[in-house]
Amino acid sequence: MNDLFLSFIPGKSLLHRLDPRTKIIGLMVISICILNVSSLETMALVGLVFSTLVFICRLPVIHFIKSVRPMIPFFSLIFLMQFFFTEGTPILDLNLVSGTYEGLLLGGIVTLKFVFLILFAALITATTSPSGLTTGIEKLLRPLPLRYFGISSHDIAMMMSLSLYFVPMLYDNFKDLKDAQLSRGLDARKEPVKAIMSLVVPLVRMSLRSVDEVALAMESRCYTGQGRSSMHVLNFKNMDYGLFVLFILLVSCLVF
Amino acid sequence: MINIENLSYSYPDGTLALDSISLNILKGEFVTIAGKNGCGKSTLLRHINGLLQPGQGSVVVKGMDTCDLSNLQDIRRTAGMIFQDPQSQFIGMTVEEDIAFGPENLGLSSSEINRRVTEALESVGMSGHRHNTPRTLSGGQKQKVALASVLAMEPEIILFDEVTSMLDFSSRSDILDLIKQLHKTGTTIIYVTHLLEELVHADRLVLMEKGRVVQNGCPREIISKISSEDFGFDFPPIIELSKKLLDARIIDETSFPLSKDELLEAICPSK
Repeated sequence: MNDLFLSFIPGKSLLHRLDPRTKIIGLMVISICILNVSSLETMALVGLVFSTLVFICRLPVIHFIKSVRPMIPFFSLIFLMQFFFTEGTPILDLNLVSGTYEGLLLGGIVTLKFVFLILFAALITATTSPSGLTTGIEKLLRPLPLRYFGISSHDIAMMMSLSLYFVPMLYDNFKDLKDAQLSRGLDARKEPVKAIMSLVVPLVRMSLRSVDEVALAMESRCYTGQGRSSMHVLNFKNMDYGLFVLFILLVSCLVF
Repeated sequence: MINIENLSYSYPDGTLALDSISLNILKGEFVTIAGKNGCGKSTLLRHINGLLQPGQGSVVVKGMDTCDLSNLQDIRRTAGMIFQDPQSQFIGMTVEEDIAFGPENLGLSSSEINRRVTEALESVGMSGHRHNTPRTLSGGQKQKVALASVLAMEPEIILFDEVTSMLDFSSRSDILDLIKQLHKTGTTIIYVTHLLEELVHADRLVLMEKGRVVQNGCPREIISKISSEDFGFDFPPIIELSKKLLDARIIDETSFPLSKDELLEAICPSK
């Protein structure tokens, strides 16, 4: 379990060196662009931009395959819904429903939109340390009047950081539990409800205990939620400013 | 350095965990606290770190009373604590970030945090793992990172809560060597264990039973007097053999061997 999806890959590439805030805003801009794509040709251009960035940063392609793999059932569902429920020229007849050529095109575009949204998110998390990411989010949220809701940008950033920490831990716990239950003769095909309960109940119990232990470890290391500094000092460089100009141009093209 | 006066504590369910404990620990001392599971060792450590407040009595760390909540930050900065399960104390996604968590909480500058992280990693020999994910490390490496994360806060006292109980023999030796080095540099060590072979380097042994301190003194003298049945310990073979030699009056209590080297020296003294 060295590289779970959405995990950080240390490096010194162009994207690694960018300010996390630039990357977060860049992800938002590119997401808006992807959601506005309506042709396969433009989608191919998005693919080319993504591949170039992966190549420039020398990131392993397998990391991105792993990022997309857990979402395949969701992508398949989206594609099939579009394929079978879009009106047009039938190309596949299954008595009750029929797949259309227009559905095939639309399904392909919509599915690729989701695939690229995940891939670009994975690209940002792969090139930004979790701490850099949370510091970036904290700084971006700071101007917002969150204190009127009784929270601070730091609280949100810490919650995100801990969530990123708990996802792989929960996955590890789930795998251990599954192995333990299987070794004791659990047959998920014969008793699916019992199998789910035997995994969910201890997993929730383990998670609650882990939360307690992490809270204790945080407290013992002087965490109070106030007066914290950061190892990462965020400074915009010329490259960041150049990219901001590009982002503004991209958004302007979309709007006008 | 640490003054514990008549400390008692009960858990919310009413179980008495600590019963009228009084203990003084001096600066630079290496104190081992031993006893059966559930005797209150970890609860005592959590009082010293300020994670628990006394139900009765007081715990004063370097002149700061743990009952005064305004002291807690300074107490935790002075007395760092390492827990039994290294996995449960990681907060950062990378080794570097986990070690930086404590100094960040102290509000230090970025350059100072980087310096402390680098030095802490060097002192535990884990510099090569700076950007790794803690979850991918071995048990011994995880415990070294946990130690580095406490060292980065530059504490004067380090509390070790059965830190070797989940480690193999080799990793345990590595961690014990690091602890001995820390002790040599003047750090006060409070080490909780139920493994008697780990007591050999302690200046003082505190034995606990049912929330009370039942023995407090020189490890050599205490171990030579107690029987394994009294405290539920399994004595290591070296200590069993030393006890036979003591019974046979081949050695005396003051030279009671606790390690292989000491036993060899007792049987065949070098000139």
